[in-house]
Amino acid sequence: MLIKKLEDTLDDLYETDGIEACILYRIDGIPIAVRTSKDSSILNIMFWLEKQISHVLRNMNKEVLTATTFDFKNNQVIITPSSRSTVLVTIIDPEAHQQLISIEITRAKSLINECVS
Amino acid sequence: MVIYLDERIGTGIYGLDRLLGGGFRKNAINIINGGIGVGKTTFGLQYALYGLNRGEKCVFVSFEMTEKQIVSDCKQLGFNEIENHINEGNLKIIHIYAEDLMFPSLDFMDLVKESLSTDEHHRIIIDPFTHYSMFLNDEKRKSLSSIFQNLREIGTAVITLEESNLLEANNGSVMPLYLADTVLHLHYLGFGEFFDRTIRVVKHRGSKHGEGLYPYKIESGLGIVVMASEHDIEKLTPTNQFDKQFKLAIERSKHVDKIGKSLAKRIELLRNSWSHKESPEYILEMILDSEKR
Repeated sequence: MLIKKLEDTLDDLYETDGIEACILYRIDGIPIAVRTSKDSSILNIMFWLEKQISHVLRNMNKEVLTATTFDFKNNQVIITPSSRSTVLVTIIDPEAHQQLISIEITRAKSLINECVS
Repeated sequence: MVIYLDERIGTGIYGLDRLLGGGFRKNAINIINGGIGVGKTTFGLQYALYGLNRGEKCVFVSFEMTEKQIVSDCKQLGFNEIENHINEGNLKIIHIYAEDLMFPSLDFMDLVKESLSTDEHHRIIIDPFTHYSMFLNDEKRKSLSSIFQNLREIGTAVITLEESNLLEANNGSVMPLYLADTVLHLHYLGFGEFFDRTIRVVKHRGSKHGEGLYPYKIESGLGIVVMASEHDIEKLTPTNQFDKQFKLAIERSKHVDKIGKSLAKRIELLRNSWSHKESPEYILEMILDSEKR
């Protein structure tokens, strides 16, 4: 079932070293699926994200960007559109293996696209 | 096995009851809110048909469609048995233009009550309530509250409403959603993808419910089908994994002065609905500590 595949994709991504949260949003900023700890700093970023998603996506679309990164004091937030109606947000430890995470995000993005399109 | 503590009314929407703790609560007002084309009328028809096919009585008040149009829509969806239910008198369809009714008044309730064939519980569908809910001032809101109370006395109602009301719920001129017991929000994005059509439980008074965003489809022969994942359902399914901790807390709560007995009952309720993966130890400790003060 597509929804199971989607959940598994997020579970796999969340298990990657250095990834502290991964959230699949609908493009209007409503979270579809969330994998995160109950760390309050992550929750604060999530509240911020809900208000920013549609605005960031509009600008990304205008500038033809494939990903946008925001650097917070203790975290890095990577926003990558995963289909026409969804966007994958990954919150990582800035000291994590960036290249490995980038590969995992690309893989997850492609699987999500297969599931929802 | 999931235990539901109060009587539930099946919504008739495939996959939805599991997200509502078993269905709508009996004798409650349930608002289905959403924009054009999300399937509000289909929701109402499914809700009606589910009950009718199980021998229940139903009243469908339509402010838009005639009986002929409703029957035709049902047939399009594959609900051909609708005509039999009308002929047998189990389904009463009232078609009226909202402009023709004085509002607020109990004319509306008289209309509904006249159509009831027996005193038994009825499924009531009002589709859509949008026009009625406009132009509400405080006085009219009070009347609306009394209409809802009257509806609760005769059955379990599903009322559909246009989306704008959700956004403007507090500006004083539209339907106050807080008057309803349950509010479901249907959304249609229009990108042709899996999460294009989604349902969200905004409110489900006095009941545990799914807190996510769930995709749904409208399928021929079935109507609305909600597709929550196993992970979503698991989050709502009570577990007996922590029975030991609960039993211990119940024993300890009995020794709390004066409120010991009621506290034990409350913890028992918590135990019956605990669906979290984490241990309740921290919460139980906190409750007992606070109540002892």
